[in-house]
Order: sequence, then structure tokens, then C-alpha cells
Amino acid sequence: MISTIPLTRRATLGGVMGLLALQAGLSQAQAATTGGKLVFGRYADSLFLDPVLTDANVDIWVMTNIYDTLLLPTANGQGTQPGLATAYEITDGGKTVTLTLREGVKFSDGTPLSADDVVWSLDRARDPKAGPWNSLLASVDHVDAAGNTVVLRLKNPDATIIPVLATFNTAILPKKAFEAMPGDTMDDKAKAFGEKPIGTGPFVLVEWKRGSSMKLRRNPQYWRKADNGQALPLLDELEFQIIPDDSTRLLKLKAGELDGVEFVPFARVKELQADPNLRMELWPSTRVAYLTMNVRPTLNGAPNPLANLKVRQALNYAMNKDAVIGVTTLGLGKPMRSFMSSATPLFAPSPLYPYDLAKAKALLAEAGMAGGFDLTCLTLSGNQDNLTNLTLAQQMWSAIGVRLKIEQLDNPTLTAHYRAGTFQLRTAAWTDDIADPSEITSYFAYFPNIASLHSGWQDARADELYLASQREIDPAKRAAQYTEIQSIYNAAAPIVYLYETPYPVAFRAKVKGFVQIPLGNNIFEMASVEK
Amino acid sequence: MNRAGAIAGRIAQIVPTFFLIGLVVFVLARLLPGDAVSAMLGDRATDETVQRITHQLGLDRSILSQLVAFLAQAAQGRFGESLAFRVPVASLIVERLPVTLMLTGMATLIALCLALPLAFVAAMTANRWPDILIRTVFQVGLSSPVFFVGLVLLTIFAAGLHLFPVGGYGEGFGEHLYHLFLPALTLALSFSAVIMRTLRGSILAVLRAEFVDFARAKGLSSRVILLRHVLRSAAITTVTLVGLHIGSLLGGAVITESVFAVPGVGRLMVDSIFSRDYPVIQALTLILAVLVSLTFLATDLLHGWLDPRTGV
Amino acid sequence: MKRRLSIPFLIGLTILTVLVLCALFPDLVAPYDPLAFDYTAMMVAPNAAHPFGTDQFGRDLLSRTIHAAGIDLQIALFATIGPLLIGATIGLLVGWFGGLADTLVGRLIDLVQTFPFLVLVIAIVAVLGPGLNNMYVAVALVGWVFYARLMRGEVLVQKGADYIAAARALGYSQRRLMLRHIMPNAIRPVLIYLVTDMALAILLGSSLGYLGLGAQPPTPEWGVLVADGKNFFTTAPWMSLFPGLAIVLTGLGFSLTGDGLADLMDVRR
Repeated sequence: MISTIPLTRRATLGGVMGLLALQAGLSQAQAATTGGKLVFGRYADSLFLDPVLTDANVDIWVMTNIYDTLLLPTANGQGTQPGLATAYEITDGGKTVTLTLREGVKFSDGTPLSADDVVWSLDRARDPKAGPWNSLLASVDHVDAAGNTVVLRLKNPDATIIPVLATFNTAILPKKAFEAMPGDTMDDKAKAFGEKPIGTGPFVLVEWKRGSSMKLRRNPQYWRKADNGQALPLLDELEFQIIPDDSTRLLKLKAGELDGVEFVPFARVKELQADPNLRMELWPSTRVAYLTMNVRPTLNGAPNPLANLKVRQALNYAMNKDAVIGVTTLGLGKPMRSFMSSATPLFAPSPLYPYDLAKAKALLAEAGMAGGFDLTCLTLSGNQDNLTNLTLAQQMWSAIGVRLKIEQLDNPTLTAHYRAGTFQLRTAAWTDDIADPSEITSYFAYFPNIASLHSGWQDARADELYLASQREIDPAKRAAQYTEIQSIYNAAAPIVYLYETPYPVAFRAKVKGFVQIPLGNNIFEMASVEK
Repeated sequence: MNRAGAIAGRIAQIVPTFFLIGLVVFVLARLLPGDAVSAMLGDRATDETVQRITHQLGLDRSILSQLVAFLAQAAQGRFGESLAFRVPVASLIVERLPVTLMLTGMATLIALCLALPLAFVAAMTANRWPDILIRTVFQVGLSSPVFFVGLVLLTIFAAGLHLFPVGGYGEGFGEHLYHLFLPALTLALSFSAVIMRTLRGSILAVLRAEFVDFARAKGLSSRVILLRHVLRSAAITTVTLVGLHIGSLLGGAVITESVFAVPGVGRLMVDSIFSRDYPVIQALTLILAVLVSLTFLATDLLHGWLDPRTGV
Repeated sequence: MKRRLSIPFLIGLTILTVLVLCALFPDLVAPYDPLAFDYTAMMVAPNAAHPFGTDQFGRDLLSRTIHAAGIDLQIALFATIGPLLIGATIGLLVGWFGGLADTLVGRLIDLVQTFPFLVLVIAIVAVLGPGLNNMYVAVALVGWVFYARLMRGEVLVQKGADYIAAARALGYSQRRLMLRHIMPNAIRPVLIYLVTDMALAILLGSSLGYLGLGAQPPTPEWGVLVADGKNFFTTAPWMSLFPGLAIVLTGLGFSLTGDGLADLMDVRR
């Protein structure tokens, strides 16, 4: 009950809180005000509202307000619920998925949703030449429409196909309207379509001033109803304003010029919690913050100490995660217990490298590094949280003789270093996009997918387990595979484990019903502003 | 010298300057480490994806052919499409340039209103208490980081007293003026201090200069000396300074626009540098360069008019 | 007018002396190690033990502010001396001799100045990598034009002045006219600007710090300290306030001293 119970740290970090909140939001709609306008302050603007061709969080997190997928992620981000499809059935040993489409759904331009649109949208999403996410649908051999049903024929059983159908890039777009867009190529058409997107989601984009504001209006055709039968969305208008400076965004909220803001700095959370005009919401998330180590034996021609497992473990043991959580997140985070967040399905926790200076020193000595060594960490310039973490690491590691140098660079320079594998240590954070552990695991532990996040870390057993788990449709067996992958990865410690944090969002007290799920999606359909 | 001819000459010189600017910008943008496509796609995209998009955007062509294409397009006033926003660069700039121009214009006006009268008072009372007070106050303005001043002004006048909006730009001219007042004031503070100090110095210099003695010796009355030398010298200094600082003001707008969430070109510029959005960087720099060059020309003409001996 | 050391000049000298002492002997002046964490005293408001309070790591802000003095004085000097020497020399030469060199340098100045200053510095620092040394290079590449333009303008004004005509009539050599008559008069506004520019240099350091491109941690630098404290402005305003005051005071010290010097230099023959 997000509107009546203040979100305390303990309550919001429980995994089921989000689910409760969403159900509460639906039944609460009984009393919810309809109409009106909500102005929400974002830290950065969207770039491109095409579900297939983008992969930026600034797009993904708001696109769900415009487009729908066949299935939708549940509010706890761990499962799926009906979306444009009311039901699905898996047959043929996991190689056929049959989905029943919802009756009477219309796009925002008034045209009815057809099975053709679904086939076309999924074919576009899985086209290897189209977008960065096509591999999510790699197991699909072909998609057929039959009346009101859509059938996916798979090359092999695929454990992730159901969560994939609830992921942004499988959103359903109107085939005819898209193809009618000006332009010779699909990319040109996508560009034009992304300017004035048409979807089945709760809102329609009406005006977009890049980098400044985005105005959305209620989609009168929207299919979803609240539990009490009230038509959704409740709002008439939704406006996003782009305010990159954290302090200014919060000042605007306090002055009442904004109804809500995202990314409240942790340093400000307590202050907003104490303000009776505001409500601080801390949504459970899949976000983990960590440092990636380059484990290649040599780096820029010199031997790389991080190639040594004992050195990596020593750095982890010397890192006081609780102190980092206290200083950087002001106690709002919690220590990582696996490479994936506790909100990710099949999360298998272990007490990861508790702070132990003596052990860290012993490990370094065993590695022949008792005298310490120099280490350079790359980080994004101007990012306060990362800088705070590194300042702490600098001090903590100096206790074992490791001299950490911090190098702040801008995004393209960093990306170039990451892709080339020419970094020693880097700051990093991750958020899941799909209600399944396969995404994060493929990047962290499965070598062929971008060489284990450019760290060079490889483990044959982990690769094998990952491939097997992708085809494993027995949930118990798959869980066992994931437990093993996590224990292999965590023992090898290719990262310095830090913390998980919730999504900090703040609203004026009169705003109710906003939901952010652990995958990050901002859901405004049940949001309302009391008059 | 034929004045009209001289002006025409200056304008003729501007054209190659623009060509040079275009060249420099293009090279500078390409010297930035990292590349646009990786920046756009992030570290998770596969190498094939990066190559495919690089090819699509024509960024795998030789630098020379890209340069030729850029200059040829720019000469026709076409700037292509933003890599990050995937919309025509022109539409981005048309939306934002007026905002920044208005902001810097207001800032210049505010700075002049603050600095001119007080510089005279300070010079006339040199090293006595009004002078010291004025200099100290301006020095505080000059020495305060822009983002900090902005935050303080916002906290007090906008969030606290509700006299001004916290940020943004508003709709319509009156709203724009209202929204841009605090950012313009922030931007004006350091500029006005620069004008005040330099002006005070130059007035004092004229008052004490040798040529005043020469002039006195030639028998001109002291009032004529004041009028002729002080005012003219002050005007020259002011004009020079405004011309000199237009570039800095536009640059200073970068941080001010960030703090006040003003959707101007300053923010766009820095964002574009940080995302290697070459077409936007190139077009914006060129357009700003044109504006600044025209300001310089105007400054020089004014200079020449105020002090015929310096010529055009 | 009688020449004496004015009170403002003395105040300015005092401020700068204190700063230089802090810069030379920070360990004698500062009560704590500026890099030492104290988890028991995080974000403590100013009190007897920590007159400027502490930051989120429990580091003593007075000690950090004192230790930053050295870096910031270095910024004020290094970021202005290069541009001054290059710019003033070029400005004097082309202003006096005129001709083709003047035209070419004029166009070059225009070219550099048409780029927004901060943006150009940001771009150069982005190319070279963040940090103070690269900031100096960037500023030297760009900043000289301010001095050159100012100097050239003043030289042109002085060149046309009545006293030069008189001096020419007396048959003085070109070199003597340029160095003994023009330069001392033309350099004064340039020096006045230099003093302003020193304060601006510290501010530039802070702007770059705001973007993460300035002094790199854990080096304490006033601008970066102000920028770091910004996020805690409502709960721990002292984090930004005291380093900010240090910047203001330093700027004041420079300007009062500079004005005093300008007065002293104005000795008539």
C-alpha cells in the first residue's frame, strides 16, 4: 500500500513489496482521481522510441507507457502476466508456443490489433540485421498466425521464451501504419515511426522537444481496466521534463513545479522522507553496482596482477561493503550476495567475501604481492556515487598496500577502453531488462557474449552450464544449473562486489499509484493526482 | 581609407575564416577519443553491430571524403542528422539557439547595467570606501563558481521565496524573460565584475595618463579632457570587452543551462561532445562561430567609429 | 596624488601571504591529515574539533581547504602565466608593427575566439584526458588570445595618443617608443585583467571539477570541493561553503594586490 504506508528501507527491499504495491494500486483505483496532469522530472531524455532498434534505459523505461508486449512482467519483475495475449500454451516438448490474443484491442490510431501485426512485429524483432536484441528470439524458427492465435515454432526448447515475450523489444507495433511511414529503408521508416509512435499502450506521444520535454496524452483506446472497472490510464496528460542536475530536479519538486522525480541522490533521501509534502519511494530493483576487473594475463604489455585469483579475492576481502553502503548509499543499499541481484529469479546467495583484512593480506602474500601494487580504475567523469566508491576503495585497499589511481573519463572514451579490453579496473552497474537470470548471466559468465563483459574471464564449465540452461525447461534442473554457475563465478571473483540499491523516486504527496518494477519500467497507467 | 571598402574587405575575410573553422572543428571532433557508434551502442553491443551501424552512418568512409562531404553540405546550409537523437541537426538547433541567444543577451544587459555606473563611481572614489566596497562586492560575484551561485539563487529566490520559477524556459516571450532572469543574473555576475574592474582601471589610467598632461599642456580645459578621453576610452574598453567575452559567455552558458535546466545550445554542445555526436558538434560550432564573428565585426566597426585612429 | 601603500593593498598582501604560507607548509597549519577518513565523524557540522566541519568520509574540511591552497595557487599561476606571456608579446608586436602579421594574427585570434571558451577547453581536456596538467595546456592553447587582443587594442590606442606623436617628434627610436612608452601604458589593463583572470582560472578549475574533468581525487582542490559538496547543500552546506569562501577570499586577495601594484607602477616620470 504505497499510498498509506511510508516506504521504509526494510519494507521496500523485500522482494514481494512491489507485487503488493501493484495489486494495491489496482484495487485502490476505487478512490483514485481521474483526469489531470502529472509532470515527472527525468535526469535524461529518451533517444529513440523504437523497441527494436534501441537498447538504452532512457528509452526502455518509458516505452512501456506507449507499447505493449504479448505478456507483461509482473510487478516483482520475476514472472509474467497476461498482456496483449490472454493465455499461452507450451507444447511439443517445449518447441511450440501458442498464444491467444486479447479480443477488442485497438492501437492508439483506432485500428484493431491483428495477428498479422504480432507476426510482423516478432519477425522484425528477431531479424538479425535489425537490432541489438534479436538474439533474445534466436530460438524462434518461424511465427504463424491462425485466426486469433499466434504460434511460435522453436528450433529447440527455450527456457527464456516466455519472459522474452514480456520484454520491451518484442512490443507489438501496427504493421500497416509502420510500413506507411515515409522512407525507403526499414531504418528510415523506424525513424519516422519513432517520432510519432503508435502502440496499444496507455499513453500516446503528442509532443517531443528533444532534451527538454516530452508530452504524452491518455490513449482512449487502451484495453486495460483497473480491478474496479475504471478505465486506465487515470491521467489525461503525462509530461516528462528533462532536468539533468540532481539539485535542480529536487528543487523543482519541492517548489511544486514537478509532481515527481526519478533518481533522487541517496544523500537526499532522508531529507525528502522528512518532508510532509513529499513521499519518498524506494522501489526494489535489479540494480547491482560493482567494479569489473580485467583478468587477462597481460595488460598493455605488462603482467596484470588481477589475472591472479588470489589477488582478486584479496581485493574483495579488503573491501568493506558495509562501510561503502553506509557512505555512498547512506545505508539504503545492501551488500551483493551474488553477481545478480536478489530480485533476479534463480538468485543463489552466498556470503560473499566478508570484510577480512587479515585474510586479504595473507592472500596477497600467497600471490607474491605482499608489497602491494599499483592499480588504475576508470570511471565516468562527474558520477558522484562511483567516485565515492572509489575514494573509499582507495583508502581501504591502501591497508593492504594497493595503490589505487582513479581516472575519470567521458563515456565514449570509456566505452572504447572497455571494448578494446584496455582497462585494468572499471566501475560498473547493471539492471536486468528481462524477468529471467539469463540476460545478466550471458553477459557476466558466458564468454562468447562480449567476452564476459570485456574482462576476459572465461570458464568452460560456466559456458557449458549456461548453454544447457537456455534449453532446460525443467525449472528445478535449471535452478540447479544457475546455482552452480553463480558459485563458479563468485569463487572466481572477476568483479569486486559492492551493493544492490533500490530505485529512489519521489513524488508530491498528492500523487498516487506510480509503479517502478525491478526491471526499471516506469508504469504510469495507475498514477493519479489528487485535486 | 574607404570605409565601405574596408568593411567589405572584412566580410570577405570572414568567409575563409569560416572555412578554417569548419576544418578545425571537423578535425577536433575526430580527434576526440572513442567513437560515436560505440558511445551510442554501449559496451554490450557486439562488434558486428558496431561495424554495421558505423557503415550505415557512413562513418567508415575515409576521413577526407567525410570532410569533403561535410564542407560541401555545410556550404549549402545542410548539417545532416544527429547521431544521438536521429533527427535533423537543423531542427535541434532552431529549437535551442534562440534560448541561448536570449540568455546571453539578457546576461550582457544585466552585466552592463550593474557594471557601468558602478565602475564610474569606483574610479572617481578610487581607494576610498565606496570604491573598496564596490570592488569587494563584485569580487565576490566574480569568485563564486557559477553552479554554486545558481544553486544558491534557486534555493533562495525560486524554491524559498517563490519569486521565480526553479528552472526551464516557459512558453511565450514574457514567460521566457521570467524564466531566464535568474540564469541570466548568474551568468552576468562574473561578467559584470570583469567589465567593472577593467573599466575602472581604464578610466583611472586615462585620468592619470601622460597624454592628459600633454592635453593639459595644450591648454584644453579639464572638462573637455574628461569628456573626450574618459568617455571615449570607457566606451572603447566596454565595446572591446563585450566583443571579447561573447565566446566566454556562450561557453559559460554551458554550466548555467545545466543548473537551471534551460534547453539551450550550451547544454546540447556539451552533451554532443560527450556523446561524439559529430554532426551536432560541427554544426553548432560553425553557427556559433558565425555569430561570434559577426559580433567581432560589429565590435571592430564600433571601435573604429569611437576611435577613428585605430581604423577598421 | 600622493603614493603610499593603501589599506586595500595591505589587506590583499596579507591574504596572499597567508595563502602562500598555507600552500608552502600545509602540514604545519592543518590540524588533520586531509585524506584521513573518520567513520565516527561523517558530515559533522562545524565545531571546535572541526571548525569547517567534515565531509561524507569524515575528512576534516579545514585541513582539506588548507591543503587545497597549494593546488589552487598553482592553478591561478600556471593557467595564466603562459597565456599572459604569449598573448602580451604577440599583441604588443603586431599592434605596434601592424602589417600582414597583424592581419594574420588578428584572424587567428578571431578563429580561436569564435569557439566558446569553456566548450573548447572541455573538448581539449576530453582529448588529452582529465587532470590539471592537461587543463593548463588547454588554457594556454586558448587563453593567450584574450591577452593578445587586449594588448593589441591598447597598443593601437596608445600609438595614436597625442604623447606618442609628441615623442615621435622628439625623434625617439621605434624600440624605445615601443618598450619605454607604449608597453608600460598598454600593459596596465592587461595586468589588471591578469588578476581577474587568476580568479577566473580557479573558477574554471571548479567548472571542470563540476563536470569531473578537473583535479582528480583524492587531491583536494577548492572548486572540486565545492562541486562535491553541492549534493549535500541542503543537509551539509558547510561542505561547499568554506571552500567557496576560500575561492572568494583568494580572488579578493589577488584583485586588491593587483590594483595596489597597478597603482604603484603608475609612477610618473
